[in-house]
Amino acid sequence: MLTGLIACFLSAALLAKEVPTKEALWSLKPLSSPAIADAGAASGNPIDAFIAQAARERGVTLLGLADKLTWLRRVSYDLVGLPPTPQEQEEFLKDDSSGAYLKVADRLLESEQHGARYGRHWLDVLRYADIDEHMPAAPGIHLWRDWVINALNRDLPYDEFVRAQISGNRAARRRIVSAAGHLTDVEPRPEDLFALGFLSRGAAIRADTDQQLAISAVETISTAFLGLTTGCAKCHDHFYDPISQVQFYSMKALFDPLVLRQIELATPAQVFERGRAVDDYESRLKVLVDAMRKFIEPYHKRLYEERLSDLPPEAQAAIRKPEKERTVAEQKVADDYHPILRIDPSKIKTLMPQAEIKQYDSYLKEIAALKQPDPPPVFWTVEEDSKRAVAKSYVLTTGDASRPDLKQEVKPGFPLAPKSLSFHAGRRETFVDWLTSSDNPLFARVAVNRIWQWHFASGLHESTSDFGVLGGKPTHPQLLDWLAGEFIKNRYSMRWLHRLIVTSETYRRASTGPKALVLANLQADPKNQSLWSFPLKRLEAEPLRDAALHVAASLDLGVGGKSFDEGKATEMPARRTMYMARGYRSFADVMPDFLQTFDADDGRVACPRRTQTVTAPQALFFMNSRLIDEASARFAERLRTSSVGDLNELVRLGYSTALGRPPKAEERVAVLNFLQGDPERVKGFAWMLLNLDEFLYVR
Amino acid sequence: MNERLLFPCGRIARRKFLFQAGVGFVGTAMGALWAEEGKLLNPESARAAHFSPRAKSVILLYMCGGVSHIDTFDPKDNKLAGTMIDAVGFGDNMAEMKRPVIPCHRTFTRHGQSGTPVSDWFPHIGGVIDDIAVVRSMHCRETNHFPAVIEMSTGHRDRLLEHPSLGSWVTHALGATNRNLPAFVSIGRPSSPVQLSGGYLGASVSATPFQQGDVPIRNLHPPKSISSAERERQIQTLDVLNRDFREEYAVHSAIAARTRSYELAGRMQLSAPEVVDFTSEPDSVKRLYGVGQKETDDFGKQLLLARRLVERGVRCIQICHAGGGNGAWDAHDDMKTHAPLCLQTDKPIAGLIRDLKQRGLLQSTLIVWTSEFGRTPWSQNTTGRDHNPKGFTSWLAGAGIKGGAVHGSTDEFGYRAVENRHYISDLQATILQQLGLNPEKMEVEIEGRPVRLVEKNAEPIWPIIG
Repeated sequence: MLTGLIACFLSAALLAKEVPTKEALWSLKPLSSPAIADAGAASGNPIDAFIAQAARERGVTLLGLADKLTWLRRVSYDLVGLPPTPQEQEEFLKDDSSGAYLKVADRLLESEQHGARYGRHWLDVLRYADIDEHMPAAPGIHLWRDWVINALNRDLPYDEFVRAQISGNRAARRRIVSAAGHLTDVEPRPEDLFALGFLSRGAAIRADTDQQLAISAVETISTAFLGLTTGCAKCHDHFYDPISQVQFYSMKALFDPLVLRQIELATPAQVFERGRAVDDYESRLKVLVDAMRKFIEPYHKRLYEERLSDLPPEAQAAIRKPEKERTVAEQKVADDYHPILRIDPSKIKTLMPQAEIKQYDSYLKEIAALKQPDPPPVFWTVEEDSKRAVAKSYVLTTGDASRPDLKQEVKPGFPLAPKSLSFHAGRRETFVDWLTSSDNPLFARVAVNRIWQWHFASGLHESTSDFGVLGGKPTHPQLLDWLAGEFIKNRYSMRWLHRLIVTSETYRRASTGPKALVLANLQADPKNQSLWSFPLKRLEAEPLRDAALHVAASLDLGVGGKSFDEGKATEMPARRTMYMARGYRSFADVMPDFLQTFDADDGRVACPRRTQTVTAPQALFFMNSRLIDEASARFAERLRTSSVGDLNELVRLGYSTALGRPPKAEERVAVLNFLQGDPERVKGFAWMLLNLDEFLYVR
Repeated sequence: MNERLLFPCGRIARRKFLFQAGVGFVGTAMGALWAEEGKLLNPESARAAHFSPRAKSVILLYMCGGVSHIDTFDPKDNKLAGTMIDAVGFGDNMAEMKRPVIPCHRTFTRHGQSGTPVSDWFPHIGGVIDDIAVVRSMHCRETNHFPAVIEMSTGHRDRLLEHPSLGSWVTHALGATNRNLPAFVSIGRPSSPVQLSGGYLGASVSATPFQQGDVPIRNLHPPKSISSAERERQIQTLDVLNRDFREEYAVHSAIAARTRSYELAGRMQLSAPEVVDFTSEPDSVKRLYGVGQKETDDFGKQLLLARRLVERGVRCIQICHAGGGNGAWDAHDDMKTHAPLCLQTDKPIAGLIRDLKQRGLLQSTLIVWTSEFGRTPWSQNTTGRDHNPKGFTSWLAGAGIKGGAVHGSTDEFGYRAVENRHYISDLQATILQQLGLNPEKMEVEIEGRPVRLVEKNAEPIWPIIG
C-alpha cells in the first residue's frame, strides 16, 4: 500500500504567510457566550441580530424579505428535497397567522421525506457507498443508510446520533441501578446495530489485514465530527495542524480491536429452509464432481507424470515423497514447482479424443449449472476481538499496515484528551464520552456549522471539515458560538436548529433586489459572506431527478430499502434518487452516469461539500434524455387532466407545480402563443418547464 | 480563505482556476471542456502552453491486459528457453520462485532504414517503423491490471485522492481549441473508469466517451417523437421564458454559463454526428485503416475517427483496445491469443500513421502505444506469459519524436529493464514536453499539498526527442 506516500510539502507561499500556532487556534478555545446584539432583531430571532450587526460593520445593506411563495419553495427543497405542491402553496398563502412559517417548517420537518433529504447530506460526510471495490460490508450496508434516515426523522439528538455510530449504543449511561440496588448493563437498542455500518463500511477486505477499518474510522470521525483533517498525519507531523502522527495512531488504537462480523437477518424458518437447500445443493454437486474426477483421472495422471519427469531428478525425488516426510528445503522445491504441475481442464482436453471431450464438457456444464442457494439477508457489523484487544498498536510507516514502526508503540488516546484518562469503560466508549461532551470545543461548532452550510450553501466557517490552522476563520464567530451553545442547551436537537434557521429573516431574505443596491453590496462583499442576499443554489443531483419525477406524479416516496441500479431509473413510478446505488470500482464504471453528470461523489472519501459544474452534458440530459422525455409526457398528461380544457388554468397549474409560483402575464402569453390551442404541444410546455433555469435553481 | 480547502473530497472547484486566470466571475463557471476559449478563460494565462509545443494533439493507444514485448518489439534469444530463473509472482502472490523461460515462436524482421526489428505479428507497423521510437526499458510498480492501469493513466498508485487521468491534466492545462467538441475524447471500452476521470480537476475536464455508431455522445439527439421544427419552437419559447430569470441573476456566472451550456449542447448536436460520419472519406483511405475488412473494421473505424478528431482540434484522444475485465491482451494461458489482437490493430495503426503523414498532420500529432505492463519471459505451466511490471516496451511516433530510434533495453531474458530505465512518469513527462508543457509546472494544491501528474524526478525521454 502506498496510501499516503504522497509527499506533503509546505509550499513557499504557505511558509511566507503568518500561520497561527496551535495554541492560538480559535476553534480549540472554549465556546464563548456572546451577547445577542439588540438592534436589528425585530424578528426576535437572535440569528438575525448577529447577521444584522455584522452587515452593518461590513457596510452592506441587507436585502428585503422574499415573498411567501419563494420562501415556501426554498424551504421545501431544503428540508424534504421536493417542490411544494399547488395545494400547499394555496394553504400557505391563505394562512395569515403569525405562526404560518413555523407551521410549514414543522410540517416539513415531521415528514418522513426529511430524513431522506438530510440523510443524503450526512451520508456524503460519512462516506456512504453501496459499492467500493471489494467492500465486505456491501451486502446490507443500506441498513446503515436507513438507520441514518430514521434517526433524523425521529430527531435523535446529535450526540446520540454520533455516539451510536461509533459505539453501537446511543445511551451515554452504561449501567442502571434498580430500586433494589441491582446493577444492570444498558443494552443497546436493537436498531442501533445498524449504526455500526459507519465503521464496518471502512474495511476494504474481509480479514482487514490492511487495517483500513480503523484508519478509515479515524479519518472520517476527525473530519466529520471534529473538523480536523488527518490526511497528512498518517505519514508525519505538521506543525500547523492539531493532530500529530502519534495522535493519529493513538486514535487508530481506539479502533484496532475491531473486527468485522456478519450477522444473518433471517427468521428461524428461513434459516431452516436455507439449510435444506444447501444440503441438497451439496449432495448433487458431490455426485457430479466425483463422477467427473473418475472420468478424467487417467488423463490427469498421465499429464502429471509427463510434467514431473521433465523436472530435475532431485526435484522429482522431493516431490514424490509424501508431504509429511519432506524436509523444509524439499517442501520449498515442491512449492516452487507446484504451479508447473497444476493441470488445467484446457490441457486435459488436448489429450482426449473428440467424444470424450464432449462428455467432459457436459460434466463441466452440469456443474456450472448447479446454482448455490441465495445467501440470506445479512448485515456486517463490527465487534471487539479479544486477541486484538490485548495486541500492541504502532505507528504505521506511510500508513502501511505491513510496516509498523516497532520503535513507536502507541497507546489508545486522542488529541485534546484530558490529562488523566482511563479506558476502563472501553476504548471507544471513553473516546465518545469526550467527543460528545460539552468540554470538546469542536463538537457542537462543527455540527451547527455543517447544518448551516446545508441551509445557506456555505458555512459560517467556510471549510466545514477543516477547523485547523489552514481552514481560515469563521465569518460570524459570535453567531457560530451562540448557535453551538444553544444547540447544546437544546439537547442537540437538529430539528430545533433547522426550525430556528428556516424561520429567521436571514433565511427568508430575497436572493436578488434593486440593481443599484445589489451592485453596491457586491462591491463591499462580492462573495456574499455577510448574507446580504439569500444565495442562489443549484439543486443537487438527487432533488433534481426527484423533482422532475415528482411534478410528473411519478415519484415513489417509499422510504428505505435496498438501493436500486441506474438501469431501473426510468421504471415508473421511480424511487427517490438517494436510493440509487452509487460507489466505485477500479475495474468497472459503477457510478451512475446521471449522478456523475450532476456532481455527486462516489463515496470513496468523505465529501463535506459538492462541487457544482455547469456543463453541456447536463444540458443534453435535460433536453434529450429518456427520463426527461418520459417525465414531460406524464407531466403533460397530468396537466391536461387537471385543467379539463382550460388552457389558462393549464399554464397556471404548470408553473405552480414546477416552479412553485403562478405565471406572470407575459409568461402566460408566451406559453399560450406556443401552445396554439394544440393539446399535443402540452408535452413541449412541460419539457420547457423542466428545462428552465428556474427549475434547477433555488432562489 | 484558501479555496482549495473548500472541496476536500478530491475535487477542486473550477472557479479557483478562473480566479487565478484573472476572470472575475462570481460563483461557479463552466469548465474547460465545455468552455469556449477566449470567452470564459483568458488564453494568455491559464491556457497557453509553457513553451512552443511540437504536438497539438495526442493519441493514446492503450492495449488493455499487457502486450508481450518479447513477442513484438523486444526480441530475445531462444537458446535460453527452458532455463529455470528466479522469478517473483504477481498480484496477491508476490512469492519468490523458480520458473522456466518459455520459447518465443515469432520471427523478427529488421524493417526500414533504421533496421528496427519487429515481429511477424506486426508487419504493417514494421512498414512505418522509421517513424516510430521504441522504448524497451519501461517499468512500473503495480503487478495487477487495475492498479497498474490506474498507475499508468494517473501517474499515482494511492487512493487517498481521486487522481485525474493524463488526458484530464492536458485538458486542464491547455483547454479546448474547438468550440463545438470536447477537448478530451475516449474511444473504445476502457479497463477502468479511472482512465476517463477528471478526479480532483473536476468533471469538466474528464473524458467524453464517444460511442460506436451514429450517436457518438449520450443524449445527443432529441427523442424520435419530436420533430426538429417542433424542438426549434420549444427552444425559442424556452429562451423567452428564461429571460427574466437570467436578467435578474445576471451577476451569477453559473447562470451565464447555463446559457452557454445550452448553446454548446446545440452546436454539438450539429457537429458531433458529422465527425462520426465517414461517407466523405475515400475508399482508399478507409482501406488504409482496414475499414471494411472483418478483422480490422472495428479498430480501423476507431482510428479513423481519431484522425478526424485530430483534424478538428481535439486535444487528447484515448483509445482502449480489447478493454473490459482484465483486457484481452492478458495472455497467461497461451501466447497464441495475442495473434488475433495483433491482427486487429496492426493495419489500422500503420494506416493511422501513414494517413496522418500524408496529410502533414504527423508532425503535430503525438501517438503513444502502450500497455499497463509487459509480460514475463517465463510461464507458470502454460505456453502463456504472466504480468511483467519490471520491464516492457512502449513506443511513440510523430510530433518531434525521433523515428527509427530504439532506446533502452531489458536483460537477456526480457524480464527486467536494465539499460536507460524509465518509470511511466518519464513517458508522461515526454507527452507533456511535446505538448509544450513543463512537467514540473503541472501541479495543483490539494488538501494543502502540491500534487503532480509525474513523479518528482521524472524527465522526458530526451534521447528519442528530435
